[in-house]
Amino acid sequence: MIKLGNSKLIREYHEDIIESIPSTIIITDNNLKIQYANKNFYLKSRKREIEVMGERLEKVFPASHSMMNKLKENIKNVIKNGIPFTDGHMWYHGKFYFYKIRPLKEADGSRSIIKAMLLMEDVTELTRLEEKLRDSYTKLENAFAELKESSDIKSEFLTTVSHELRTPLTVINTYLELFENAKLGELNEAQQEKLKILRTQTSNMMEIVDDILDTSRLETKKFKLNRYPVKLENIAKRVIEELSKLAELKEHTLTLKIHSNLPNIIGDGERIRQVFNNLLSNAIRYTPNKGKIEIEIKNEDDHILTIVSDTGVGIPKHEIKKIFEKFYIGGGQSLSREAGRLGLGLSITKGVIEAHGGKIWVESTPGKGSRFYFTIPKVENKNVEDS
Amino acid sequence: MKILIVDDAEYIVKAFKDMLELYGFEVENARDGEKALAKYKKLNPNLVIMDILMPKLDGISATKKILEYDPEAKIIIVTAVSKFGLEEECINVGAKAFIRKPFKIKELLSIIEKTLGDQVGK
Repeated sequence: MIKLGNSKLIREYHEDIIESIPSTIIITDNNLKIQYANKNFYLKSRKREIEVMGERLEKVFPASHSMMNKLKENIKNVIKNGIPFTDGHMWYHGKFYFYKIRPLKEADGSRSIIKAMLLMEDVTELTRLEEKLRDSYTKLENAFAELKESSDIKSEFLTTVSHELRTPLTVINTYLELFENAKLGELNEAQQEKLKILRTQTSNMMEIVDDILDTSRLETKKFKLNRYPVKLENIAKRVIEELSKLAELKEHTLTLKIHSNLPNIIGDGERIRQVFNNLLSNAIRYTPNKGKIEIEIKNEDDHILTIVSDTGVGIPKHEIKKIFEKFYIGGGQSLSREAGRLGLGLSITKGVIEAHGGKIWVESTPGKGSRFYFTIPKVENKNVEDS
Repeated sequence: MKILIVDDAEYIVKAFKDMLELYGFEVENARDGEKALAKYKKLNPNLVIMDILMPKLDGISATKKILEYDPEAKIIIVTAVSKFGLEEECINVGAKAFIRKPFKIKELLSIIEKTLGDQVGK
């Protein structure tokens, strides 16, 4: 068996080994006269042994003046101090080299150093590739910065628009409400009816303005949640109460089923209310009169599961994937135009749930109804019962 | 019941005034945060409704100023700005309540009622 590192073996083949190394190796004495150069050196310099051996380094190696001085100084230091020099780099004949200098101890037993080995590595290609890479990286960084800026501008624009719309909407809504409440004089039936339409349309606009703000914030991830202990069942109850009139209009039965001992979760109560509002109002809207809508909240292993189910029109299989996308509006064109909505509700709902670390999904049978599920993770420690 | 509206938007002020007067309140207004304190001293209103974004002095600073003068001042902040944590900031500064534009009249009235306690007559 041939052992690697067997010095007899190395000695036998050392010449072959050295001659095969693609680096350039030169050995000089302390007067910087060349004692040895490897095959690669001759190949690269296209000089002959007779022109090189015994000659001073700078004669054979026409590098720039400053470069050569540096090289000579480094070699002299290595020979003097016996410490290798490893960080050299230089340009030579249009190519870029890394170099090392090692002291060579005499084999005569004195262990004095009077020779140095210069090892040069041609890293021209490597350096070129590195520069190209750095270039691409800079271009990528710039493109990203531009993209981010235009995205920021877009979000800022949306925020500004949404903000600017709030003031006139407030003024309009206030006066419409005054009219409707007969505070500006008695109204006949026709006037009342038209005013109600004006006010609900304005209400829609207000919702859309809110939606725009929410979505643009979701996009820029400025979507920060407040975090405090929250009782899901209380939020559900509140939302059911708020939407009860709407449900009554369509003669729906609305039920809330809570499994006892629901722990608190840590979350943003207002945002979660938005989620319940969105899911419940969708259920009411997409269920034909006299339907059954149920909210069920269950305590499971590491999360609380909420199910909002209805006996509504359901969602066709091929649409299920799309319903959580922005601007998706179900029920076909007629329903969406009537509602005057943007279709952002479910995408915001999904954003809120996921920002809480939960998941949301749906099961549905067209013609029979839908079941929306969402989870919110529980916290490690048990929370104090709130009042 | 006297209410001081502090807002630089002409039509918001008009809408507030028209609405609140119809619901039985006496309404005065200041057009920016700086004038707010002066008006407050002059009128001594039961309630201040303060906007946030105003030239010269913003609503939050004006709220601080008024509360320095009268720690019992009842200030409701009304704003179109939708920054998260804004509500907390307002309450921390000493406002009694916070409502976002656009709001329903009913919402505003109920907050006014709550803030004034049982002093409000309908």
